[in-house]
Amino acid sequence: MIVLAFDFALFLEKLILIAVVIFGSLGVALYTTFAERKVAAILQDRRGPNRAGPFGLLQPFADGLKLVFKEEIIPNTSNKTLFIMGPGLAMTAALMTSAVLPWGNKVELFDRTIALQIADVNIGMLYVFAVVSMGVYGIMIGGWASNNKFSLMAALRGASQAISYELAMGLSLIALVMVTGSLSLKTIVEQQMLPGHLWNIAYQPLGFLLFLVCAFAECNRTPFDLPEAENELNFGYHQEYSSMKLGFYLFAEYVNMFISSAIMATIYFGGYDIPFLDESKISPNIAAILGIGALMTKIIIFIFVFMWVRWTIPRFRYDQLMNLGWKKMVPLALANMLLTGAIILWLQGK
Amino acid sequence: MGTTQLLFWLLSALSIFSAMMVLISKNPVHSVLWLVLVFFTISGHYILLNAQFLFIVNLIVYAGAIMVLFLFVIMLMNLNKDAEPQKSIWMKLAGAISGGSLLLIFVSVVRSASEMQSKQALLKTGNIGLIDQLGKTLFSEYVIPFEISSVLFLSAMVGAVAIGKKH
Amino acid sequence: MNAIILSAIFGVVLMMASAFVSNRSLYKTIALACLVLLVGANIAETLGYSFFTIDTHNMLAFNKMGLFFNTICFTATLLYVFISSSEIERVDNYTAEYFALIFFSLCGIAILTSFNNLLMMFLGIEIMSIPLYILTGSDKRNLKSNEAALKYFLMGSFSTGILLLGIAFIYGATGSFGLESIKVGTLQMQLSILEVTGCILLLIAFAFKVSAAPFHFWTPDVYDGAPSVFTSFMASIIKVAGFYAFVKLFESRIETTSFATNPAVGVNWHLLFAILIIATLFVGNITAVFQQSVKRMLAYSSIAQAGFMLFALFSVNAFSKEGLYLYAAGYCLATIGIFAVLVRMKDYTFEGFNGLAKHEPTLAFATTVCLLSLAGIPLTVGFFAKYFMLAAVVKQGYAWLAIVGVLFAGVSIYYYFRVIAAMYFKSADENPAAVATSSTVKIGLAVVVAGIIILGVWPHALLNFLYF
Repeated sequence: MIVLAFDFALFLEKLILIAVVIFGSLGVALYTTFAERKVAAILQDRRGPNRAGPFGLLQPFADGLKLVFKEEIIPNTSNKTLFIMGPGLAMTAALMTSAVLPWGNKVELFDRTIALQIADVNIGMLYVFAVVSMGVYGIMIGGWASNNKFSLMAALRGASQAISYELAMGLSLIALVMVTGSLSLKTIVEQQMLPGHLWNIAYQPLGFLLFLVCAFAECNRTPFDLPEAENELNFGYHQEYSSMKLGFYLFAEYVNMFISSAIMATIYFGGYDIPFLDESKISPNIAAILGIGALMTKIIIFIFVFMWVRWTIPRFRYDQLMNLGWKKMVPLALANMLLTGAIILWLQGK
Repeated sequence: MGTTQLLFWLLSALSIFSAMMVLISKNPVHSVLWLVLVFFTISGHYILLNAQFLFIVNLIVYAGAIMVLFLFVIMLMNLNKDAEPQKSIWMKLAGAISGGSLLLIFVSVVRSASEMQSKQALLKTGNIGLIDQLGKTLFSEYVIPFEISSVLFLSAMVGAVAIGKKH
Repeated sequence: MNAIILSAIFGVVLMMASAFVSNRSLYKTIALACLVLLVGANIAETLGYSFFTIDTHNMLAFNKMGLFFNTICFTATLLYVFISSSEIERVDNYTAEYFALIFFSLCGIAILTSFNNLLMMFLGIEIMSIPLYILTGSDKRNLKSNEAALKYFLMGSFSTGILLLGIAFIYGATGSFGLESIKVGTLQMQLSILEVTGCILLLIAFAFKVSAAPFHFWTPDVYDGAPSVFTSFMASIIKVAGFYAFVKLFESRIETTSFATNPAVGVNWHLLFAILIIATLFVGNITAVFQQSVKRMLAYSSIAQAGFMLFALFSVNAFSKEGLYLYAAGYCLATIGIFAVLVRMKDYTFEGFNGLAKHEPTLAFATTVCLLSLAGIPLTVGFFAKYFMLAAVVKQGYAWLAIVGVLFAGVSIYYYFRVIAAMYFKSADENPAAVATSSTVKIGLAVVVAGIIILGVWPHALLNFLYF
């Protein structure tokens, strides 16, 4: 009787891939914190962190160590299980999305063709959407378990904000799916790589804009960082958190930012596609490495946009945020969907 | 017993356990979180039946949206252990007996349904749960209920506005 | 299909009207115009002019019986809106939305009279009842209205859950949602116990929806708490539509799942229905006797009337079919009439009706006719409605059940006559008991009274339409 029949090579291969992706995401997130401070400094005409290591490059490690070694305080009146679960959930949800993202085409190693994607599911886009909608639990649970009214209010704000913007996000994605005809992220990337086929941004400019705004809101980044509006809510939903639990929340935000940049690059900007280069003419391994480089470049550009916006635009007021979400984004997304459908029908009819 | 069966039993046990915990938990927030877990395990069953679209939609709609709203309301109303109304022991007993008899009837019905005994669930096969198949069925055979349900949602929406809006 | 599509479109029209028409008094004119068009379109379809040709994949089946029932419901709604539109305007600011919700509810009714598939039946029931939850809670500042809405919503959702469980069982047994395929399938195959369980669950769910005892507990509170205008709508048109669906569902199923055809797992439906009927009649009539508020009394009386309508389920034959139509028309007329008077009363207790005959003889007369019809006194439509129902049972050979029905009808005379006695034989202590009535209401009540008496003298004025 074989209870568990696996292809162990495949298992190992996926395991390694998962480890690489997760540690990669964490590493990128680590250095995004550094980049954030540097970008802020440049935009504000300062120098930024420059003491730890050359150009301050070791600063993130110093910060991390500080968080790890700080005293950990769990408030007496809090709900302990959920209090500990909160940051874990936030982090898990942030990292889970990367499972369906195609990081590159494929590499050939030891006579095996390894796809640089953890799972090519045919509902990849919906998976991303589902995980994004899970992300809100981390905030809500953490905020509620702290047993502090500021945390609770921030958590509720975060939840309602996330739900409101998920709608517009979903609607803008539907328009994109109408163009691509597939929900698999791999297929979407491959479509964009086809000769004579432009990146999806060319077909869905409004959809991209809507998605970008929603991505800001989903990541709780300025101008939508209402859950941690420090002038109204002290420190937001993670007010009672300290040490590495706080670190998890902060980190999850940066991982989220990284992942949403990766998603935007994948579905609207061709993923690992290098413009004006026919990847099939070069050896797959080199193409894969170049592809990963291309994807990373796109991601870094998006991360920069995130930071640029953060240090340029002031925060919305809460009612403005809701008005924007429900009265502008949702109708616009619906109009975009309608228009896309009409054009597709018209083109098919011709 | 292969992986699929193993997963099936695991998921079933987990879903029944978490469904029980929904009822047993004194704290409404805990109940909601257990319910989220129930949805996850049920979604797992969908995967076993190769219904990936149902799996993900179940998660997005129930776990991701509806349960968040539940949590939202419970947190806003600040319901907690103390807010739980105290019921008398007789009420609990009566509830347990009537619920238990209903369970007994259902179990015996399912057990005595002769046509089900020889049938095997189609695990990992079947393509009706895949998004393209489901879409085609929904827009051909079931297009009437699909379209008519829009009236249902519209009326609920009109009602929500009429009830929720201030003057 | 005319009725389903047009009622949904008219609902949207009224919804849009609230956004683009600022003159609030126009809403009722629009609603009335739409209702006239709806009745017209439905009659056109009855005569064979369908505006839409849609392949329904055999999920909806339109026949004359169902379309005629639509006509009854829509005409009753027309009358209802005609009489009560000024009251609807008074509930809150969302007049157009209320009308829109009424139209959506009618869409549900149109589905319920034509479903050929359990899925459509579920949708029909939900489309019909969701607007009602909202109409019940429309008086937002009134705590009783809020409580009623919540209670109605929770009970409604609960029964919908049972309904879905039943549908799931039947689907599991037969692999189909269709009404007809089940009929054919079960005759060939062995009847599955799953299907029987499903049917019983459906019975429970429908008993909830039409408030048959012992599933009636929500009814008095909801009818009492809801704004009286909407109670009128709920207690009349919605109730009879629920019954139509109930009978339509079970007449396709009683035979195949009965004890007689399938001794192994079949159900003794007659026994089950008889218990349901007697319990409903008992609870409705006996509790109604002890009420102090007329509105609450009417709520219990509606349970009692539900008991009589359940006779149509007990005996599925031509008599009961005719009886159901007559009951639907008569019960709608009487309920709309009496609630039109009730909403004008300042005091809903029996004492509030004291001396009404002196101040408002027309209102008192209309109330009397409506109450007589509800009680089933000859020369009113209520008499023939009850007569047909009881005759159907007798024809089936259950005379004892008919006698029980007559006994309880006798009990009902007591509480209906209490109101009449208060109006005619007691004098009011102070100022007029009712708000002044407009001429619209008087015209509407005249139509109600005329309808009750004409159908009471000549029921075939209505029934002939079934066979033309």
